Amino acid sequence: MSTDTKQDYAVIGHSVPKIDAREKVTGTAKYTADLKFPNMLYGKILTSPHAHARILSIDTSEAEKIPGVKAVVTHKDAPTLKYGISPARWDENIFCIDKVRFVGDKVAAVACVDEETCYKALAAIKVEYEVLPAVLDPLHATDEDQPQIHDEFPRNINAEIHQNFGDVDEAFRRAHYVRTDTFVGNRTYQTPLEPHTATSMWEGDKLTVYSSTQSPHYFQYYIAREFGLPMGNVRVLKTYVGGGFGGKLEPTGLEFAGAVLARITGRPVKMFYDRAEMFAHNRGRHRQYMTLTTGVDENGKILGVHADFIMDGGAYTSLGIATAYYAGAMLTLTYEFDNFRFDMLRVYTNLPACGAQRGHGAPQPRYAFEAHLDNIAKDLGIDPIEIRIRNARRPNTVTPNEFKVNSCELRACLEKAREISGWREKKGKLPKGRGIGVATGSFVSGAGYPIYRTDLPHAAAMIKVGEDGTSATLYTGAVDIGQGSDTVLCQMAAEAMGYTYEQMKIVAADTETTPHDFGAYASRQTLMSGAAVRQAGEEVKRQLLETAAEMLDFPPEQLDVRAGRVFAKDNPETTLTFGEVARRHFVTKGPLVGKGSYTPPKLGGTFKGAPVGTSPAYSFAAQVSEVEIDEETGEIKVLDVWDVHDCGTVINPSLLHAQVHGALFMGMGEAIWEEVKFDGNGRILNANLSEYRLPTALDMPRVHSELVESYDPAGPWGVKEVGEGATLPTMGCFRNAIFDAMGVSVDSLPLSYEKVWRALKEKREREAAG
Amino acid sequence: MYLPDFDYYAPESLEEACNLLNALGPRAKVLAGGTDVLVKMKHGLLAPTALVSLKALHELKGITYQPGRGVVIGALATHNDLVNSPILHERFLSVSEAAHQMANNQVRNRGTVGGNLVNAIPSADLPPILIALDASITLVGSTGSRSVPLDSFFTGPSCCVIDPEGEILTEVVLPEQDTTGSTYIKFGLRRSGALSVAGVAVAVTMEGDVIRAARICLGAVYPVPVRAKDAEEVLVGKRWSDDLLAEAGEAAACCALPISDIRGSAEYRLDLVRALTRRALKRAITEGHV
Repeated sequence: MSTDTKQDYAVIGHSVPKIDAREKVTGTAKYTADLKFPNMLYGKILTSPHAHARILSIDTSEAEKIPGVKAVVTHKDAPTLKYGISPARWDENIFCIDKVRFVGDKVAAVACVDEETCYKALAAIKVEYEVLPAVLDPLHATDEDQPQIHDEFPRNINAEIHQNFGDVDEAFRRAHYVRTDTFVGNRTYQTPLEPHTATSMWEGDKLTVYSSTQSPHYFQYYIAREFGLPMGNVRVLKTYVGGGFGGKLEPTGLEFAGAVLARITGRPVKMFYDRAEMFAHNRGRHRQYMTLTTGVDENGKILGVHADFIMDGGAYTSLGIATAYYAGAMLTLTYEFDNFRFDMLRVYTNLPACGAQRGHGAPQPRYAFEAHLDNIAKDLGIDPIEIRIRNARRPNTVTPNEFKVNSCELRACLEKAREISGWREKKGKLPKGRGIGVATGSFVSGAGYPIYRTDLPHAAAMIKVGEDGTSATLYTGAVDIGQGSDTVLCQMAAEAMGYTYEQMKIVAADTETTPHDFGAYASRQTLMSGAAVRQAGEEVKRQLLETAAEMLDFPPEQLDVRAGRVFAKDNPETTLTFGEVARRHFVTKGPLVGKGSYTPPKLGGTFKGAPVGTSPAYSFAAQVSEVEIDEETGEIKVLDVWDVHDCGTVINPSLLHAQVHGALFMGMGEAIWEEVKFDGNGRILNANLSEYRLPTALDMPRVHSELVESYDPAGPWGVKEVGEGATLPTMGCFRNAIFDAMGVSVDSLPLSYEKVWRALKEKREREAAG
Repeated sequence: MYLPDFDYYAPESLEEACNLLNALGPRAKVLAGGTDVLVKMKHGLLAPTALVSLKALHELKGITYQPGRGVVIGALATHNDLVNSPILHERFLSVSEAAHQMANNQVRNRGTVGGNLVNAIPSADLPPILIALDASITLVGSTGSRSVPLDSFFTGPSCCVIDPEGEILTEVVLPEQDTTGSTYIKFGLRRSGALSVAGVAVAVTMEGDVIRAARICLGAVYPVPVRAKDAEEVLVGKRWSDDLLAEAGEAAACCALPISDIRGSAEYRLDLVRALTRRALKRAITEGHV
């Protein structure tokens, strides 16, 4: 434990109101789609109606004749450089050139004086296709007779991963018990409340893009690359963002198409997706087919694990190569074992591309492993919490794939979850139809390596104290997409400076005015952006105390500042206000400015794929849920969920618990309801909020969100992540509760009412057959 | 997703409305709450070039009790009007409860009873409970009006006996009756904003433990809301028991002809009908109009 314990903090550790609460609650907050610019045009993208087809011709002449149509563009008008997450897998064009590869692939775009004209123009573009057979079944995508989706990727193999740590075969030979189970995940979509929007405009050679994005920097990087511009000539910024969950991490096509249209017309162009187009663009959760084999000793101690997975990547790589590595890498975190083998095949299909979604690759394997572990516990007659405690990772350990774990209170999480859920009183003693289940999870507090190859620091920050000392502005590239990072980082800045939260202002997520930061993904900002902010705040504090020392004629090391008051450590009567010292500083020395940056230490091993999953610190969590099953209909009623988190020092308890609630909401949706479904031609059947069922407020259980004491030396003030980790245990937790209630296992997601009904029916039929 | 251009009329009398529909012919559609027509127009599934709005026809909005006639629900009553009606709470709480299970609050504030019926969607939540309560509807055209039992109103998915070029559904009448209990059980895949996978409404007339009369209507498991007459016959004249109700559930499943779709398989729906019929009967028998 560090010396800076909770009671020392004036600003962090308190549930201050969100810095943007008033704007959001009163409706004055302007989201990207609310922005209007003089002469602005509206743009839409024409997408493919076929899952797989050759483009024979595109005739835009009729569309161009429609009054109000200002530009119609295709691949001929746009850069043709391919893009994607990594050079080996740049496989996507701004507009399709020779082929379309899924229903929704980008073919052309229009810019018009209003939205209505856009639809008329899109309808007037004539595209001649030669429809090709489509690959829709990921399990057969690699068969010899399947059509080839990308020429560069034989047998539709997008990525193949084989990692081997220790000796799994030997571990299985030594094991008391070895079990294999297979589980199947579901295609889900992030479904942010705010649809994607981008408004692009040029001034000479400079391009400005307002975008609903999780990472202005990453967008800036890819836009500059596509258009051959220096990064300094591309400005990407955002206003308020209504949720991302991974779906707004990479450029969507709206930015690229908008930039092309804005350049041709010389006017600002606003591009946007509607709800159905969001589903078609996708980049949501991959469906994974997961076979797990685990060997344990007679006490249930895990000796070795083999994970053999296939994932449906859809038509492009998107961020999916990272997803593929994460799927296996994160399995080693929660439980200690030395031997691990991971085989993964990410295949192309003619379905919308999949990418990063909250928990990035890890939630489905976590569901599979937690279900698998309950099967093993049942076979060996060990209580599910007990087998987890026996295997739970301990602090200051290293995983077989070389992740160094500092703080880890998983055991304490499990014990507390057992306590507050009444597990001992309930397990095996609940009335018919009721069950209780447990699962765990762990997640990175920021990725150890950048999203693209670069030696830039991961985060940077700058604080400028106002000239009269009545306010200070934090400049950060960190991206508040609703999770509250602006609030948390202002709390951290005020704490480090000795200032108050109420006097903080923030300018964030603008590549031109704020220092570089990679953005909101991999649950990185509280730790990484926070580290840069703390450093900037401490630099302000040092300068402030030097000036105060001159004013008081005291040595600076005998002074301190806290919550806006400068005082002598051994004589608290001697005080000055932060404001008066700051003002004097400006008058005598110029602007009072502090800056900071953060680069993680060198992390991880040297094997292929070793960087994915590395992090300075890992969160841990245990969840217990109690469910009630309607035996006749299969309806699942989730009564209570207890979530106990080890997420280091908490900066804002209200926001933290809100993250747990939100993550649970998403986890619950994926567990029971959500699934993107397709017809036999690769068209989405439920690209709407009526038939793609997110849970409603009425479906939510009672949520009990609790914490355990924890402090991670890698994070500023000991912080770790919470935003994504809380999504991880939920699916397995519900599956295990259903398993406990009814003795049936649903081995594919979602755990829908009909699947539970069917499992119960089959069980009855088996029993009747004797 | 834009509404196409259309002419808009807001007649101030029923007569004017009927004449307009007559004159405009097939290019016109009636607009009540708009929760279905406008959505379909945006998706290009309907393309009327004229909409005749009923919003100025205030006489179609109320829910009243008329002695001798029964409870009269104006076609423009919204679903939330049903939910909040003291007259229904007193006489047929089951109708308020059924309306409360529909869609979500926003749709319940806009959508109307008349629209829900004329749409003739097999999974609609109101028809089963209204049919179980022996409702009839009144259709008014330029040549006069007629009363049609709701049970014979629907002719197929999105089809009913209304003449689209001149008739307007004006009211639903729940006649005076001696039913002692009624209820509707909806099975949807979440608690709000979900279409029915299956729905069962029942109304019973009890004399002590003996079932004197029973009406059972199934939703979402047949091309139209359908009476489960075989199941009714199982019950009539008998003293109720759990076994009898289970038998009625089996018989009800035999009356259903469900399809498999995105919300559920036919096999699942049949099993749901079995269970829901039994549960609905027990509830109506033991708890009254709920």
